[in-house]
Amino acid sequence: MKDNKKEIKKGITLHCIKANNFKTDMITVFLTTKLTREDVTKNAIIPMVLRKGSANLETEENLNKHLEEMYGAGFDCGIDKTGDNQVLKFYLESIDNKYLPSEEEILEECIQTLIDIVFDPKLQNGVFEKQYVDTAKEKLKIILEGKKDNKMQYANLRCQEEMYKDTPFGIYKYGYIEDIDKIDEINLYEQYKRIIDNCKIDIFVTGNIEEDKIIELFLKNEKLKKLNEREGEYNRKSKKLEKREEREIIENLDVTQGNLVLGLSVSEIDKKESYSAVIYNAIFGGTATSKMFKIVREEHSLAYTASSNYLRHKNSLFVRCGIEIENYEKTLNLIREQIADMEKGEFTKEDIENAKTSVISTIKMIPDEQDTIIAYFLGQELSENKMSLDEYEENVNKVTKEDIQEFAKKVSIDTIYFLRN
Amino acid sequence: MKIIENKYIKEKMYLEKLENGLTVMILPRENVMKKYIIWGVNFGSIDNEFILPGEIEAKKVPDGVAHFLEHKMFEQRSGINSLDTLSALGVNANAYTTNDHTAYLYEATDNFDKALDEFMDYVQNPYYTDENVEKEKGIIAQEINMYEDSSEWKSYLNAMKCMYKDSQVRIDIAGSVKSIKEITKETLYLCYDNFYTPSNMALVVCGDFEPERILEEIKKRIVKHENRELPKRIYPNEQEEIAQKEMIQDMKLSNPIFTIGYKDKVQEDMVKRHIAIQIICGILFGKSSKLYKELTEQNILIGALSNEYDYSKNYAFLIISGVSRNPEAVVKRVREEIENAKKEGLNEADFIRNKKNFYGNMVIEYNSVEETGRMFLTDYFKGISAFEYLDKYEEVTKEYAEKILNEVFVEEKRVTSIVK
Repeated sequence: MKDNKKEIKKGITLHCIKANNFKTDMITVFLTTKLTREDVTKNAIIPMVLRKGSANLETEENLNKHLEEMYGAGFDCGIDKTGDNQVLKFYLESIDNKYLPSEEEILEECIQTLIDIVFDPKLQNGVFEKQYVDTAKEKLKIILEGKKDNKMQYANLRCQEEMYKDTPFGIYKYGYIEDIDKIDEINLYEQYKRIIDNCKIDIFVTGNIEEDKIIELFLKNEKLKKLNEREGEYNRKSKKLEKREEREIIENLDVTQGNLVLGLSVSEIDKKESYSAVIYNAIFGGTATSKMFKIVREEHSLAYTASSNYLRHKNSLFVRCGIEIENYEKTLNLIREQIADMEKGEFTKEDIENAKTSVISTIKMIPDEQDTIIAYFLGQELSENKMSLDEYEENVNKVTKEDIQEFAKKVSIDTIYFLRN
Repeated sequence: MKIIENKYIKEKMYLEKLENGLTVMILPRENVMKKYIIWGVNFGSIDNEFILPGEIEAKKVPDGVAHFLEHKMFEQRSGINSLDTLSALGVNANAYTTNDHTAYLYEATDNFDKALDEFMDYVQNPYYTDENVEKEKGIIAQEINMYEDSSEWKSYLNAMKCMYKDSQVRIDIAGSVKSIKEITKETLYLCYDNFYTPSNMALVVCGDFEPERILEEIKKRIVKHENRELPKRIYPNEQEEIAQKEMIQDMKLSNPIFTIGYKDKVQEDMVKRHIAIQIICGILFGKSSKLYKELTEQNILIGALSNEYDYSKNYAFLIISGVSRNPEAVVKRVREEIENAKKEGLNEADFIRNKKNFYGNMVIEYNSVEETGRMFLTDYFKGISAFEYLDKYEEVTKEYAEKILNEVFVEEKRVTSIVK
């Protein structure tokens, strides 16, 4: 599996990834820009306005009819946070020509439709359609007000917010209610233009595709030709956290289960150590043989979910479990013990081998899902540390017990967040 | 082996019923890394009352026993949990329980055969002790509590309780913190011994397999034991009417969740019925519908209306759900659209377009080996083959869909559940 990259213009990259194991083809557009408190809310509204209709298709109803006509091509868009960047994403998945019930060709039309949605929106007097903006503003407000509705998600989010307070990563990707009223069809369109003119643009086409044909299609696309060259303003490096005293935040909501989330910071590491990080996480809380699963769940029956994950872009770890509220201290102490044990090297050769096998198997599975393929290559594109899948596998295999312990020394609890009743 | 081919998606299914009664389905797939296996038993949360062969009196087991059994299958006599062994091989192992079946599964890139040893061993060899059963109660209680805080799950479950008066489908799959306390190792053995018998099970593999070879590998690992006669399951005689019209629960949400349910009953040709219902929902509430346009433009509806038709051998129902600040208004408008469509019939162009949309949605299911495997298993327990959805979609006409519209979307059979 190879990412066949072609720079359409400076700052605009087309990625063709040929894979013949899917029944569908997928086209994805990512607009990557710096995550800032000032623009976050406006940027979050943009996809909600764009999905309302392109210049060509005018309304969401027409757009959806058009997609249904093409055997239910699936369109969606949204907002992501990758490191200190806000990513506006748009994707369209269509049935590969080979699996249509009749001889038809729809991929080209799907590509054009997605390009139209992102780059050629429906305008009114040279700015966004007012009605679309008003609806999107209200919708965003409703989404933001519903932040607490999903308790587990809310706990994860709050821990992240507290840990990265006053840094870009602490900003909520959907923005803030107090910004919404100031937004109108004029300033939102200005922001859209600013993004379209300056952001880093990555377009992915995956599936059973003819790469040359796709490249040619994009090169001669009229709407893409109109885009200018750009530096592609985004944060290559992400702001690092300094080691500091641990903080405990307890929040009360009407919940049955207590949600405990720990944010662990890691001091500066090099590329080699990033492989140790992945193995550390697998041993600590990433798998069903991990310490979190075996000790917190299986041995002490404290939780059903007990796990951790490593956030490569931020070089930090998040530990989560859902527990009985009265078991807060007990669980926290157990987690502390596990963190200390990692540093002391209280894990076996077998644990390391299991962790490696598990991580490598996850790497090997990447080519089996289109969205995972795209997420992996976009991650590569945005990260300073580039590595191929083979390289990844090779380096993971080289990690030693000493490496993991060295890494463990750099790990410390930064934020303890507990959501309880 | 019997070979069934589907011309639309160009896939084959190899079907074999082994001597001991186990059904094996093999779906070979080229150019994929993942190999997937799923082994299911026709024993789910609804199977909580049964008469054992040769006995007269019915036995009743606590709610949540099938799910509890699923958790405890991984336990081994050696003391080493099978989940550990499988994880150590780098395979993703898991299990789940539904209303009508329990399934064990894993996906692997390497080590598939080694994992198969462990996998087939643990499903065929239970090991329950007083201690390991007791220990699981804390874990499952936390799983139940997690769902207690899930507004989507609550909204769904309340709709089930509105639709069903006696049927076990109204019970939470995992049971309750109270009911699982009553479960003992004896309860688990009773259920395992009587239901986990080959003729009551099916196994599906999907991935880069050579059908003959993988069949042999499976056969080799089958533990020989006699095929038991199955217990007679007791399902209450569920009335056709709904149990109650609506249920409202307060969870202090900013954005309420609603679930509309239509209680249906099992009929002939459920596949065609299911396809027609999907198409109708697309026409009336889908993203190109007038209703969607109206409700989203006013932000009465946040996101799309989703719908799911679920059925097994003794129940069938349709669920339509979504998020809304004014769920009562959405429900009212949904009803009006339905009544209107009944009066005026379905629009021809809408019908054709939504049929195409249905086709695409079906094909997408075949993208992943997991989805494919799970689909064939689930459908097997319904007594159908997943391929039938592609084979029969052409047969669904507008007239047929209109007939189904009148049969299924009946006001007296509608319930509403709202979580605020």
